[in-house]
Amino acid sequence: MALIDVVNLSKAFGPKVVLSNVNLQVQEGESLVVLGGSGTGKTVLLRNIMGLLTPDSGHVAVEGKIIAQLSREELFNVRQSIGMCFQMAALFDSMTVFENVAFGLRRHMKATEAEIGARVEECLTMVGMKGTDKLKPAELSGGMKRRVGFARAIALKPKILLFDEPTTGLDPVMTDVIGRVILDLKEELGVTTITITHDLKSAFEIADRIALLFRGECIACEKPSEFKVNPHPVIQQFLRGDADGPFLQDPPPPKRKIQEAHS
Amino acid sequence: MVLTVFDKVGAAVLKGTDTFGDFAVLAGRTFAAIFKRPFDIKNLLNQFQSVGVNSIPVVVLTSLAVSMVFAVQLAFGFKQFQAEGLASQVEGLAIMRELAPVITGLMLSGRIGSAMAAELGTMQVTEQIDALECLATDPVHYLFVPRLLASMLVVPLLTVVSVYVGFWGGYLILVGVEGQSAYVYGNEFYKLLAFRDLRIAIYKAFVFGMIIALVGCWKGYRTQGGAEGVGNAPTSSVVTSSLWILISDFFLTKLLLV
Ligand SMILES: Nc1ncnc2c1ncn2[C@@H]1O[C@H](COP(=O)(O)OP(=O)(O)OP(=O)(O)O)[C@@H](O)[C@H]1O
Ligand SMILES: [Mg+2]
Repeated sequence: MALIDVVNLSKAFGPKVVLSNVNLQVQEGESLVVLGGSGTGKTVLLRNIMGLLTPDSGHVAVEGKIIAQLSREELFNVRQSIGMCFQMAALFDSMTVFENVAFGLRRHMKATEAEIGARVEECLTMVGMKGTDKLKPAELSGGMKRRVGFARAIALKPKILLFDEPTTGLDPVMTDVIGRVILDLKEELGVTTITITHDLKSAFEIADRIALLFRGECIACEKPSEFKVNPHPVIQQFLRGDADGPFLQDPPPPKRKIQEAHS
Repeated sequence: MVLTVFDKVGAAVLKGTDTFGDFAVLAGRTFAAIFKRPFDIKNLLNQFQSVGVNSIPVVVLTSLAVSMVFAVQLAFGFKQFQAEGLASQVEGLAIMRELAPVITGLMLSGRIGSAMAAELGTMQVTEQIDALECLATDPVHYLFVPRLLASMLVVPLLTVVSVYVGFWGGYLILVGVEGQSAYVYGNEFYKLLAFRDLRIAIYKAFVFGMIIALVGCWKGYRTQGGAEGVGNAPTSSVVTSSLWILISDFFLTKLLLV
């Protein structure tokens, strides 16, 4: 049985249909990467898995429990085994970096201050943020906030990790570091991850399977090697990163092609 | 034409019921969460600090101003029929029974209720409340409960402070300006009051504290729509809680004085 099971999930905001009939299965220990254009509902998908949004129809099941049907107590129990890294980091801005990362540890683990301190230090070091523990989120740059958010998500060593664009806004080297941390977590702790990213290089590095959301539907969900050679025109256009093709509903009139402009 | 009127009235009633139901559910969840573990002492103390200690100057100044102006009016009024002696008795009655709890409640709804709405509203629109949820922490337990407890304790305490300051405000005018005897003023102030009156004032303040915290937290928690939403939350929290303070004051007075 799949650890995370998304079945016929549909979600609309008013008249705007964001997800329609999305089906995804993530096995234990697997690393799924979700790709898709900006505004196609990737974040909405994660929020449904987390139970922050309720599906209009269909359901999400984590470890066989249907999220939307759980009581709040049960929901919080399930969430203890899930770590989520928000697109905008969502750090608690009244707390220091240390307190942010220690938050889950303090609330859910019967650990001493020393153990908590060690774990926070370890997590911050992993994302290259050592020595920033006394700063407030307002004193950090966008990429630094994102990395602290990442550290906060992994601090409790959850079984499932959901990353919403953990590398957007990071330099290429740091992007690689984060990619490696995700791979390490998978190898060492066997965590199951869903990662949303716009960075194709790290997507192919960390993915066991890649899914592509397009106009509210999941048009592909397969191994990276198969994904690369999938003949679907939308997928090929997405991989090429080309403005011409069926990907955009109403493409802006291109003044001139990049190559021509440079030549 | 008639149908649209019915339509509008119906929609307004439904929306009102919806809003009130939402508030009632969250308030119920807050009270239920008071006894849940873990107890977050540090957070609670922080709230006492920001809700209580930092509000003392505001309460002292407004109580002083109101009690002084009230004494001026009483002295003037009773002078019309040569009954200046009654001024201090009525001053005591008015301050203890109405002015202290209501002024404290209204000032604190502006001072702490709005701060709660703004803080929680910002947390809502920056996804910090979602982050709390994801860290398996009930925002109602983590955010509402300490604010509610602090407010329920602090508003009665500050009401007592306000009564005390009111005594001296009346003293300044009636003894200092109107030239009454200080000894007489000290006795007369409490003449019409029984211990019951202090108890009623504290009950009232307790309920006002509840209203302030619950409305402030609720308005903040339900904030939508970015900076504009965060801007509206404190305003509407102050208006709503002031309204409910005045309405509940009427009913509490009626109920507790019989
Ligand atoms: N709370 C909401 N209310 C109304 N519409 C929403 C809400 N949340 C998301 N949407 C809509 O859902 C669509 C998908 O949003 P989502 O945030 O999931 O995009 P995304 O795939 O994460 O994009 P990006 O890559 O830019 O982060 C958007 O068009 C947005 O307008
Ligand atoms: Mg997104």
